[in-house]
Amino acid sequence: MTSSTTVAPPGTGLDAPPRRRRRRGSPFPYVLLAPSLAVLLVLVGYPLVNLIITSFQHYGREQAFGQPPTWAGLENYTTVLTSETFYRVLGRSFAFMVVAVVTTFVLGTLLALLMMRLGKAMRMLVSIGLLLAWAMPALTSVIVWGWMFDTQFGVVNHVLTLITGQQWAGHSWLIDPLSFFGVLLLIIVWQGAPFIAFTMYAGLTQVPHEVLEAAQLDGAGAAQRFFRIQVPYVRTIITVLIVLSIIWDLRLFAQVYALQGIGGIVEETSTLGVWIYQVGTASGNYGMSAAAAVVMVVIMLVISSAYVRQTLKEED
Amino acid sequence: MKRNRLVATTVATTTTLALGLSACASGSTGTGTDGTSEGGAGDIRVWLVGSDTPDEAREYLKTTFEAENPGSTLTIEEQSWGGLVDKYTTALSGSDSPDLIEIGNTQAAAFTSAGAFEDLTDRYEELGGDDLLPSFVEDGTYDGKFYAAPYYSGARVVVYSKEVVGDTPVPTTWDEYVATVKAATTDTVSGLWTPGKDWRNGMTFVWANGGQIATQASDGTWEGGFSTPEGIKGLEQLQDVMLTANRAPADSDEQEPQVPFCAGQVAYLAAPAWVSGSIGADEDAEVPGCGSGIGSPENLSAFAAPGKTAGEAAPVLAGGSNIAIPMRSANKELAYEALKIMLSDEYQGLLAEAGLVPAKVSQADLMPDGVFAQASAAAAAEAISTPASPKWADVEASGVLEDSFVRLAQGGDVTEIAAALDAAIERTLNG
Repeated sequence: MTSSTTVAPPGTGLDAPPRRRRRRGSPFPYVLLAPSLAVLLVLVGYPLVNLIITSFQHYGREQAFGQPPTWAGLENYTTVLTSETFYRVLGRSFAFMVVAVVTTFVLGTLLALLMMRLGKAMRMLVSIGLLLAWAMPALTSVIVWGWMFDTQFGVVNHVLTLITGQQWAGHSWLIDPLSFFGVLLLIIVWQGAPFIAFTMYAGLTQVPHEVLEAAQLDGAGAAQRFFRIQVPYVRTIITVLIVLSIIWDLRLFAQVYALQGIGGIVEETSTLGVWIYQVGTASGNYGMSAAAAVVMVVIMLVISSAYVRQTLKEED
Repeated sequence: MKRNRLVATTVATTTTLALGLSACASGSTGTGTDGTSEGGAGDIRVWLVGSDTPDEAREYLKTTFEAENPGSTLTIEEQSWGGLVDKYTTALSGSDSPDLIEIGNTQAAAFTSAGAFEDLTDRYEELGGDDLLPSFVEDGTYDGKFYAAPYYSGARVVVYSKEVVGDTPVPTTWDEYVATVKAATTDTVSGLWTPGKDWRNGMTFVWANGGQIATQASDGTWEGGFSTPEGIKGLEQLQDVMLTANRAPADSDEQEPQVPFCAGQVAYLAAPAWVSGSIGADEDAEVPGCGSGIGSPENLSAFAAPGKTAGEAAPVLAGGSNIAIPMRSANKELAYEALKIMLSDEYQGLLAEAGLVPAKVSQADLMPDGVFAQASAAAAAEAISTPASPKWADVEASGVLEDSFVRLAQGGDVTEIAAALDAAIERTLNG
């Protein structure tokens, strides 16, 4: 789990250039595809196959250091799927994912709408601000946010004391799980919204002006124009963004792990990614953590395949 | 809409990528190809943990090693105590393994039992033999084979500054000690600084009341000891101190104690003796201390937490480190040379000056005279180690101890916390 959640996806396919019809039978496209296929096979295929194999083995720290693993059959899967902790962690991850995706998406879209109405200079300023938040490494941002919410010396408690006149120093923001996820939500949304904002901005500016103008002349209000015209135009983009956000927020790792190091109770705040890490790398039970990871992969496949199929169906 | 196919492909590709990244959880291994042949010159990497090892010793190690092994270089890379077991599990099984590593004595068993370290049994005599600290040799031995040498031992002492506590006499019994720290508490000053995650110092309360972490039955199974009447009594006393004599946040950890100490917010601080180095550092040092104020040599003092009866010390967690050569190191011979330097009298003398107890019994007289050394020696005599199981490191790494002690600091129900903690420890040790 060395990934951070801020990996930029390849282009969202907004400005697909018109392609010339290729001749049948030419091997050229396959030659062009070969390098990326090879990279995918090595970087994605090998670890995935390895993961699946490990999930059927008794694989502990001894095996990581070279002893041959023994086969476990379905034991790892039964342990995971009958574990109460797994379902608690899964439920927690899903609940947080839903809140995070909705908040990020609403805020990102509002930012995009704002950018459309801003002048050139201000838009540039907002863009740079958003870009900085987006480009910040996940770990760095969590540590800085952690400092701000520090129980004893944090600026948040300091400012709250100044504003309310009550003593906030000593108030722990992370010890209560709900409050912990509040701080986490702030970090995730702060870092996730810029990507939504940029993509939505790019999409919304492609909506033909004449259509919007015509709608306005016909008496459509701003809300009506947004939901009846702009949203349908960028529906495919919205689909992609939601799928991506779901995946990102569900496999959250670095932010949760780092925040747990700053405060809070690990058992009550672990999400799926962190739990898998704890079972595997920290406690040396790789077999079981691999099984949990495979279950996670399957869940994500189900979520995203529904969307992919829907998009394919709507084609033409 | 042709655009849709592209979108679909993008979703598919990105999904695959995302899934692939989550698949990285499985550790793949390989063998190192870089580095040099045994016996020749090479560049070795030494991993030291935390700021325990003083800068003078680091400098001495580097210059001595490079002078004795012309053409070779030694680089020290500092690791953090937090998440160390996870880090070593990945780093030592990979192809880019360091050549010499420090590891907490209670964590060593997880790796010696997994075959992660080079077997040093043949070199036991050369490294010091029976002169090496026996309990640390035991920590570094598995199945009759010696894998990890003692590095240093560091008993936990109680540190205070005369500028904060004034002329309060040093308590002589455990009950007096608890009363003293309570009396020293004010709205801003912690009588005894007890951050919730600090189970290592919290254990003193359990042991002082006769409790245990876990005991092993004759059939080899472990039974948690927090739920015993003694364990409960210890946890209740600790909770009382956490709630009434402590101003540290319930979910904070024991790292960087010099910050509140130098701010005058701590009356008594239970910590390894080398903390005097962090507190006594200059105000403008990279990691600032308060060497000319609260932490000046005239103000700073220490004692071993007193036991039930006067003249006796309370049991504290036997802290300290071992050093080992990872199995996958590419320069094992050179690493061994560096290991020998680290066990030498000169090097250990530098550690001793910083308040650490040297790795060999015969080096004990390298300890400087003074209150810290005396307190260390008294505390070390009563030090207790964690359960001798290769799986103990997994208990530590799971964070269940921190979680439980944080709940105590929050004022949670002691009996419930103890029962849950015992269950978790038994599950891991017996599982």
